[in-house]
Amino acid sequence: MTISELQREASHAHIHPPPQGFVSRYVISFDHKVIAVQYFITSGLFFVLAGLLAEMIRAQLMQPHNTLLSAQTFSEAYSVHGSAMVWLVIIPVLTGGFGNLAMPLMIGARDVAFPWLNMFSFWLFPPAGILVFLSFLYGAPQAGWTEYPPVSLHTPGTALWCAGIFLIGVSSTITGINFMVTIIKMRAPGMTWTRMPLFVWATLVTAFLSAIATANLSAALAALFIEKIFHVPFYDPANGGSPVLWQHVFWFYSHPAVYIMILPAFGIVSEVLPTFVRRPIFGYRAIAYSSVAIGLVSFMVWAHHMFTSGLAQWVQLPFMILTMAVGIPTGIKIFSWVATLWRGRIRLSTPLLFVIGFLSCFTFGGITGVMLASVPADIHEHATYFVIAHLHYVLFGGSIFGIFAGLYYWWPKMTGRLLDERLGKIHFWVMFLAFNATFLPMHWLGLLGMQRRVAFYDNQFEGTNLLPMVAHTNVFVSISAFVLGLSMLIFAYNALRSATRGQVAGPNPWGARTLEWMTSSPPPYYNFAEIPLVLHGPYDYGKPLPYANISQDLATEPVD
Amino acid sequence: MATHAISIGDAEYQEVRSHRLLGFLFFLISDTIIFSSFIFSYLYDRSASAVWPPLGIERPGLYLAAVNSIVLFGSGVTMHLAMEAWRHANRSRFAGFMIATIVLGVGFLSGQAYEYTHLHDTWWGSVFGASFFTLTGLHGFHVFIGVIFLITVLLQTRRGVYDQSRYFGLTAATLYWHFVDVIWVALFFLFYVY
Amino acid sequence: MNETRSQPLLDTEFWSVTVLLTVISALLMWGVVIFPIDAWLPEASTVSKDIDFIYRFMAFFSVPILVYVNGYIVYFMWRYHVAKGEDRTATGSDIHDHPGLEAAWTIVPSILMLILGVLSYVVLPKYYLASAASVATIEGIGHTFFFEFRYPGLAQPVDNDLHLPVGKQVTIDLTSSEPDIRNAVIHSFWVPEFRVKQDMIPGMIVPIHITPARIGTFRIICTEFCGVGHSDMVGKVVVESQSDFDNWFKSEQHMQSNGATQAPISIAGGDAAAGGQKFAAKCTTCHGTGAFAERKVGPGLGNLFHDPDHPTLVTGKPANADDVADIIEHGFSGDLGTMPNMQVNQLTPKDVANLVAYLESLHK
Ligand code: HEA
Ligand code: HEA
Ligand code: HEC
Ligand code: CUA
Ligand SMILES: [Cu+2]
Repeated sequence: MTISELQREASHAHIHPPPQGFVSRYVISFDHKVIAVQYFITSGLFFVLAGLLAEMIRAQLMQPHNTLLSAQTFSEAYSVHGSAMVWLVIIPVLTGGFGNLAMPLMIGARDVAFPWLNMFSFWLFPPAGILVFLSFLYGAPQAGWTEYPPVSLHTPGTALWCAGIFLIGVSSTITGINFMVTIIKMRAPGMTWTRMPLFVWATLVTAFLSAIATANLSAALAALFIEKIFHVPFYDPANGGSPVLWQHVFWFYSHPAVYIMILPAFGIVSEVLPTFVRRPIFGYRAIAYSSVAIGLVSFMVWAHHMFTSGLAQWVQLPFMILTMAVGIPTGIKIFSWVATLWRGRIRLSTPLLFVIGFLSCFTFGGITGVMLASVPADIHEHATYFVIAHLHYVLFGGSIFGIFAGLYYWWPKMTGRLLDERLGKIHFWVMFLAFNATFLPMHWLGLLGMQRRVAFYDNQFEGTNLLPMVAHTNVFVSISAFVLGLSMLIFAYNALRSATRGQVAGPNPWGARTLEWMTSSPPPYYNFAEIPLVLHGPYDYGKPLPYANISQDLATEPVD
Repeated sequence: MATHAISIGDAEYQEVRSHRLLGFLFFLISDTIIFSSFIFSYLYDRSASAVWPPLGIERPGLYLAAVNSIVLFGSGVTMHLAMEAWRHANRSRFAGFMIATIVLGVGFLSGQAYEYTHLHDTWWGSVFGASFFTLTGLHGFHVFIGVIFLITVLLQTRRGVYDQSRYFGLTAATLYWHFVDVIWVALFFLFYVY
Repeated sequence: MNETRSQPLLDTEFWSVTVLLTVISALLMWGVVIFPIDAWLPEASTVSKDIDFIYRFMAFFSVPILVYVNGYIVYFMWRYHVAKGEDRTATGSDIHDHPGLEAAWTIVPSILMLILGVLSYVVLPKYYLASAASVATIEGIGHTFFFEFRYPGLAQPVDNDLHLPVGKQVTIDLTSSEPDIRNAVIHSFWVPEFRVKQDMIPGMIVPIHITPARIGTFRIICTEFCGVGHSDMVGKVVVESQSDFDNWFKSEQHMQSNGATQAPISIAGGDAAAGGQKFAAKCTTCHGTGAFAERKVGPGLGNLFHDPDHPTLVTGKPANADDVADIIEHGFSGDLGTMPNMQVNQLTPKDVANLVAYLESLHK
């Protein structure tokens, strides 16, 4: 097609008028930007609750035989903490939140393919969360976020938990289908696959994983639910079922799910880096295709969570090798990002700091992941605090740092106002230091013999012989965890403050080049008055903007 | 949804249609995954057991199931013929085959209900029963939804919701019905033959 | 941007930093090589040396990766950041790929992973494959919340106390079971000093092979969440010389054939306050002090001695002090589950007396 043909095609789609009235605007909204904010607020509330549960866990673990919580309450606390962080915080924020906020804008669309389904998908989410937390009233699940039967069949709250997670799973599947169609079908004219921003690539692979893997989770949860309620034998050996079967179906979902929780964060990193380094991202294609590789391989590694559950040796081998293989595309990304910093013109703004925190912590967590992948090593480490350390390094050090980078980056786009830079930097440093202080010592606690999911532990772990200067490792960890929790208050204050005192942001405060910055902040209901026409890839700093129909004035100078 | 389609231009309709078609295909894929997950469970239990079905459990009778399968596959044929008739703008033939499809679908469900009530095994009785009733029940539920879907679409054609060039709802119903057929092939083989 | 073009892409400063990072890596790698793992966590079985070799290897190659990634990040941030007052619209280098470099950072990690894979594959069979060398096969059964070991030649199982002769390979068949199979859950058998861990799964028997290499007493830890008592599900493994082991085995045989071993515990003079403390420490995971029906794992013990609805104990005997002491001493498995014995609960005879006194004092 010639450019003029494309241009004609681009501008024909007509603009719908925005809805009137509070409810249709802010509650039952079909607008992807409003839905994104709904996700952020809901998940934010669940984050505070799940975080407070984490602080309860740490308070209990201050002393080896603390009587603060009973063993039962403690188990409920970490089970709901893990479930809520995974399903009610990270996944909804990264897909529902950032996916909705940025993806349609970045591909130059007016909305997602099915706005109605998008709204529906969101409204499955609050009830799901309420069900999970409501299970506390009945004695919440105690067997962790993994809920291995048979023990999970013995706690009453499991049924409510299943129902809640099932709902969020359905929501996630619907969102995945919706996003796949949007990205495949609704890119602005001229936006070929290799002109797509990297966050969109990441969202595409994530959407695929959400649609495929999450369907399997729904099936597994349904089976657990009917087993719990009707005693239909799937997993309980007392009735001829197999508890190991649950582990297979659960991890067949939950391993891809960990990439659902990290790929969008990779995408955010790929957006923030070039903006603040002001140079093209290094290895665009390698970063894009490695996401696809990670997505595909992630379906073939699930049994690395089950190396101690009696699998035959010939089964363990391919899982071990493929698990290690995931490190290679991930390494390609990490190295490309580091290379992007080389010879940049780096502005040390808050979003970039969080990206740097991400690179540092996630690499560490990834490497401990490889240490878990080796079967003989995993046999020693499995179900200890070493695994807990790994998972927080990738989930907090990776996903949460990525989420904060994205929040600081897109906040002006979402609200029209900037967050305070100084508070942002304080937040970063407190969080970064407290994070490492909290989770680093867990590695040696685990290796020395502290198992996970225990309310009481052996006196020797009050101190360990490795670091005499940290005589009371668990106390040190707990205090760091409290500081880590308090660091979130800095962000909360910053966010509230920006509503009234935040500097008003123009359309493009960071001088970025992707399409979401090519419209006002916050964007109008229809996103773009004229659908843009894309002529080149998005990261060529120093060249004219690669869009027709878009004013070159938008390649503005950064304000910070 | 389709009433809205009438009011928009042809180019835009084609676009909306292609979105819906792709979305519907993705939905069918994820639905397949749900079935596959249960099928995996079934095969897992099977491979863990020395004899299959487990001792003391009888396989449900092949005869009834075979008749029932023929009914279901027959409905696939009539569905296809209905679509052919629609494409040739033969409305009465279309309605006739649609009704035939619906009747065969209901026939399949009745056959299944008969089978369920005449089995010794129960849902909670054994791992075989658990997989059998869950999978065939889930499939039966899909057939049930399919029947409702077909009835709705048939009524919609009556009300003139679709026209010769714009009939996405009808396409979706057809796809869904064929999908349900294909799933049954797998289930039939697993539970009655293999 | 343009004036940097004329300079070499990688200048002396870059290479100096690289050398510095290499030196730091080398020092840390040396630290990894000499790190005294054995002093930190004893290598008490033959396989633990091999597994520790894998750890050492992994730490060895991880160190340079971490040092270079973090080092270059910090260096680039410092070197290329835009200072106050500098032109903020300037842009950086426009180089956006380098096939050679990208190939290198794909191939080098691949090779490292491959080596790690091969190493793991070589070590794995030492842990898994059965060998004819095993001197004995012991059954290890997980219960809520203790380990039971059955030795060939011993009529009765031994609870929470695994004795092994040093230097001999033994096979342990692990599983999980309960008097009522519906209560059985997954446990796990872990001895950190052996670097051996295996889940105990109801309905499945998984053998593991251990050759203890060092005399000592180590903890056996349950690492799979199994219920409220999971935290306290800890046993001990005693590795001893063959003669010590034989002695232990004989005395165990002797004790078991003599039936009731020691004289019955005297429950006179129990101290209710001390008993209350023991109760909080050892019993509250499973028992509350409410009515019989207020079950946690076991029944509520508040009205143990004076409950008209339950005049007899779960053993069927009348609720008097001696019979309660008997349950606490020997444990009991009935419809409600398994009540562990005093050995598992780590009680002394004095504790038992105190506990009975405490339970008696509960009724108001
Ligand atoms: C993204 C996921 C995520 C995140 C962000 C976190 C965050 C934290 N986690 Fe979590 N964790 C998991 C996912 C996550 N966790 C999972 C999956 C498990 C496994 C569960 C299982 O075993 O099944 C787990 C388990 C787990 C354990 C092990 C429990 C056990 O096995 O016994 C511990 C123990 O220390 C822990 C601690 C923490 C702490 C201190 C934080 C902190 O970073 C939290 C900080 C955040 C806040 C506190 C909220 C915001 C605070 C405020 C708004 C201010 C108010 C605060 C104060 C007044 C202090 N987590
Ligand atoms: C965001 C989530 C996330 C991510 C991205 C990962 C990434 C990885 N994880 Fe992790 N994992 C979890 C979340 C995640 N994990 C959670 C929640 C659990 C615990 C679940 C539970 O039981 O509760 C877990 C548990 C877990 C286990 C099971 C442990 C056990 O219970 O016994 C294993 C074992 O193989 C594992 C491995 C890996 C590997 C190899 C990667 C790789 O993808 C990492 C790849 C990255 C790198 C390797 C770093 C960058 C690469 C380079 C710089 C190149 C050079 C590197 C080398 C040559 C090594 N993880
Ligand atoms: C692992 C869980 C557990 C622990 C720990 C435990 N018990 Fe029990 N206890 C039980 C169970 C289960 C029963 C019921 C046994 C049955 O009837 O099958 C029981 C029964 C009893 C009974 C008999 C109750 C009756 O009404 O007949 C007494 C007395 C008792 N326990 C005392 C104690 C004391 C004292 C301690 C602490 C030293 C203790 N238990 C620790 C699980 C436990
Ligand atoms: Cu037994 Cu945990
Ligand atoms: Cu995994």
